[in-house]
Amino acid sequence: MEFFRRLLFYFRRRQFEVELDEEMQHHRSMSGAAQFGNITLWKEDSRAMWTWTFWEQLTQDLRYAFRTMVNNKTFTALAALSLALGIGANAAIFSFMDAILLRSLPVKDPESLVMLNWHIKGAPFPKDWTKGSATVVHAMSGSIYEDPKSGSTAGILPFPAFEVFQKNDASFSSVFAFRKAGRLNLTLKGQADIVSGEYVSGDYFRGLGIVPAAGRLLTPDDDRARAQAVAVVSFSFSQARFGGAANAAGQSIRVNDVSFTVVGVAAPEFFGADPGEAPDVYLPLHANLLLEAYPSGGPAAMYRDEHYYWLLVMARLRPGISRAQAQTALAGPFQQWAQSTATTDHERADLPTLTIKEGAGGLDILRRQYSKPLYLLMTLVGFILAIACSNIANLLLARATARRREMAVRLSIGAGRLRVIRQLLTESVLLALLGGLLGLAVAYWSIRFLTLILNNDHLHPVLDWRVTGMAAALSILTGVLFGLAPAVQSTRVDVMPALKEIKAGHPHARIRVSLSNVLMASQIVLSLLMLVAAGLFARTLFNLQSVELGFNRENLLLFQLNARQAGHGDSDIAAFYTNLQKRFSTIPGVRSVSLSYESLLAAGTGTPINVPGAPPDPVTRLLYVGPGFFTTLQIPMLLGREIEDRDQPGSPEVAVVSEQFAKKNFGDENPLGRRLTMGGRDPRDMEIVGVAKEARYGGLKHEVPPVVYIPYIQGSQKRVGGMRYEMRTSDDPLAYVNAVREIVRREDALVPVDDVKTQTHQVGEIMSQEIAFAKLCTAFAVLALTIACVGLYGAMSYNVSRRTGEIGIRVALGAQRTRVVGMVMRDVAMLTLVGLAIGLPVAFSASRLVQSFLFQMKSNDPMTVLAAVAAVSLSTSLAGFAPARRAARIDPMVALRHE
Amino acid sequence: MGERTEIPPGTLYMLVLKTLARLGPMHGFGIAQYIQQISEDVLRVEEGSLYPALQRMLIKGWVVTEWKQSANNRRARYYSLTPKGKKQLAAEIEEFEKVMGAIRRVIQPA
Repeated sequence: MEFFRRLLFYFRRRQFEVELDEEMQHHRSMSGAAQFGNITLWKEDSRAMWTWTFWEQLTQDLRYAFRTMVNNKTFTALAALSLALGIGANAAIFSFMDAILLRSLPVKDPESLVMLNWHIKGAPFPKDWTKGSATVVHAMSGSIYEDPKSGSTAGILPFPAFEVFQKNDASFSSVFAFRKAGRLNLTLKGQADIVSGEYVSGDYFRGLGIVPAAGRLLTPDDDRARAQAVAVVSFSFSQARFGGAANAAGQSIRVNDVSFTVVGVAAPEFFGADPGEAPDVYLPLHANLLLEAYPSGGPAAMYRDEHYYWLLVMARLRPGISRAQAQTALAGPFQQWAQSTATTDHERADLPTLTIKEGAGGLDILRRQYSKPLYLLMTLVGFILAIACSNIANLLLARATARRREMAVRLSIGAGRLRVIRQLLTESVLLALLGGLLGLAVAYWSIRFLTLILNNDHLHPVLDWRVTGMAAALSILTGVLFGLAPAVQSTRVDVMPALKEIKAGHPHARIRVSLSNVLMASQIVLSLLMLVAAGLFARTLFNLQSVELGFNRENLLLFQLNARQAGHGDSDIAAFYTNLQKRFSTIPGVRSVSLSYESLLAAGTGTPINVPGAPPDPVTRLLYVGPGFFTTLQIPMLLGREIEDRDQPGSPEVAVVSEQFAKKNFGDENPLGRRLTMGGRDPRDMEIVGVAKEARYGGLKHEVPPVVYIPYIQGSQKRVGGMRYEMRTSDDPLAYVNAVREIVRREDALVPVDDVKTQTHQVGEIMSQEIAFAKLCTAFAVLALTIACVGLYGAMSYNVSRRTGEIGIRVALGAQRTRVVGMVMRDVAMLTLVGLAIGLPVAFSASRLVQSFLFQMKSNDPMTVLAAVAAVSLSTSLAGFAPARRAARIDPMVALRHE
Repeated sequence: MGERTEIPPGTLYMLVLKTLARLGPMHGFGIAQYIQQISEDVLRVEEGSLYPALQRMLIKGWVVTEWKQSANNRRARYYSLTPKGKKQLAAEIEEFEKVMGAIRRVIQPA
């Protein structure tokens, strides 16, 4: 009923107005006109009763706001654009944060998943092995995070510990373990591919609550020694290689030359429990008995070893059990188990204690790697948004002052103050929403750009409703917060003087502590901070790029071959690799070819090596290499010879040592002819035949360790698996990839050529975070400075136009043009100085926070700070100069008639 | 102008409804006059609140209007109570009594 009455009102609107008028006339005639108050207001109020007022007024306000925006195109464009950049950058970084730090695994009820971690007070391994083990952790495969203050934390456990959790099942409805299987050779219908694999325990899929897209998933029955060899493949793999999930189930594949049956396909959205990985194939944990060769006691021993930490363990809490309850319930059993594995007082002194962490987000490897950089980036884009917002506030403030007369007129003819504020807010929120909308477009492109820069295939940042929602919330918040102050200020006008206001200036419009000046100075502060950050990261990148590698990175092709996975055994594997090395070297344009266990920059093998009589030095590193390694990499030999073709299995065992190793172990004595003993799995007794110049080993940032190079072809062949070939070419290395593939295909089509890249590319990969930081921060800083300068330009232009009259009088009285320019520029200089004075100390103290991201430099690098100061000063001067020139060109006659 | 006593918030509808119940159909000015007189000038109804309130009551369906000749021979809009308005009046009075009683108990000397 009420609704219809209201609806009727809209059809009889004219009549309503007429009747209301008449009623008012009547009232007035009865009472005497003098008593009647604000007629417009009460008519408005009466009308308001009928209409859906809120929407009615909103449409009015919106229509008006649109008109204002169209009439002030420059203002609108500047404001919307700076906000779009600010919001866009924030949305983009936030979508990365969301993808990496916040998103849960796409599994059933991720909140009830937990990770089983342990913690010890010290470091797991001793600095000196001769004194025995430091803790019950004797060997590990996986990650242990060491922190000098809080001790070490890890999520890897021995298999017997996993069994302890399986036995104590009061808290968990499911406990499951998994571990990376690494790069596997998967052969399907005669075509071999390198895929990434994951070993998972029997309860993995049930525990995570994954449904099969086809066939069935792995069960505890599949995960037993000597069970039938079965596998589950990922949905995307089934599509790529089987032409659909339905075709995959029941197919036979060969994994590392062992036959497996694909029993099913995992759900499309499932990518494993590590957001940083996306396995193509899931194998039962115990399938590693078929695929991996382990020394001493065979692979089965690793399931009994209580000191070998290698399994990642997750569990699902029973309904109603909290993480804390599970922690209390299981701390005891784990403690007892750990106690039982300790054999010395040393080990008993620092036993691992259980910490149950939340597991909704899966493994935290990616989060650990990216959380600090992301928070830093988030801070920087936050700065950009702050600058953009203060810019908008400034522009709105300037405009509000310009619209004082309009406001005064509105107020004087009876507009309620709240109503005017509301209209102004509508304008600023509309502006902000426009900025937000543009910002989403900016975000869309930024995300693509960032994905490119960060160079990580496993990140899937998307503009989902959360990111969009955040952008919308930011826009509205910006609009309200930064529209409110100017709105309140401009409606606080004393109506009469404002109405009478002439457009001539305020003679005292000098630099003073106004809101606008505070905003501009803080923009300069923030710009300075960002420029300093950009400078620091750019110099870090430069420092990294100029790191002496010790070998020639140009025209060097790297690729990986694994003949072992394709079925080559101990007897022929070396021959296979040697033959290929010879064939590659016959490709026209190839200068030389060699091979090694890993590329120098990715290498990191330690084993006890010692000069007879001396204890092994734990920092010594090892690299198995092929003949011609030093020639190919162009590492100069300082003494003796390099490893050559004549070093064969039967011939005397030899080694080449690095300069540092020679100096450390032999001082000034000649190391040639001295002997080295290697222990561990591949015992050797070697003669030093050469000393090589220092070359980077295992990355760019770390100190170069003492290195021993030994021929892979000598000694035990059991550990010879995959090999990294290094190929020196005379021109673009990538031009040779096809020739390489063809040669390998002819020798053995089941050995895929994997991980092909140039040496320069590998260096770039290692520095990817630094490269990304340098690029992003520079982009951000330029953006920030641009926005700040736009704001400064706007404010100065506004100041000049407000002071037109005053300046006109000055010029008329004989002021020099240069003096007028100076007058405006002085304001700019003052603002800049204040900004720098505040910004510099802040920059000095804040830059300490990024010290860990820097390389070979201090955070208070004077050159960087100086450059940032110069950039700020130059930019603000440029921004101020255009309005200053305009001021100088003011024609006194025009200016005086202006009133 | 002397001190004016504001009409207690929320009671304007009740006052208008009661006035219409006593007087029968009446125009806005008459309603305001009547309330002022009966209350011996204590309660003054502002036009700015009276007319919007009347519109509101129209929407709610508590009153209906009719254009009639008024005392000074001009056309005036007369408001009269509907059954729904009567019900509303009873409800408002009951509510008011309840609140007044409660307030009285609170401020009564112990």
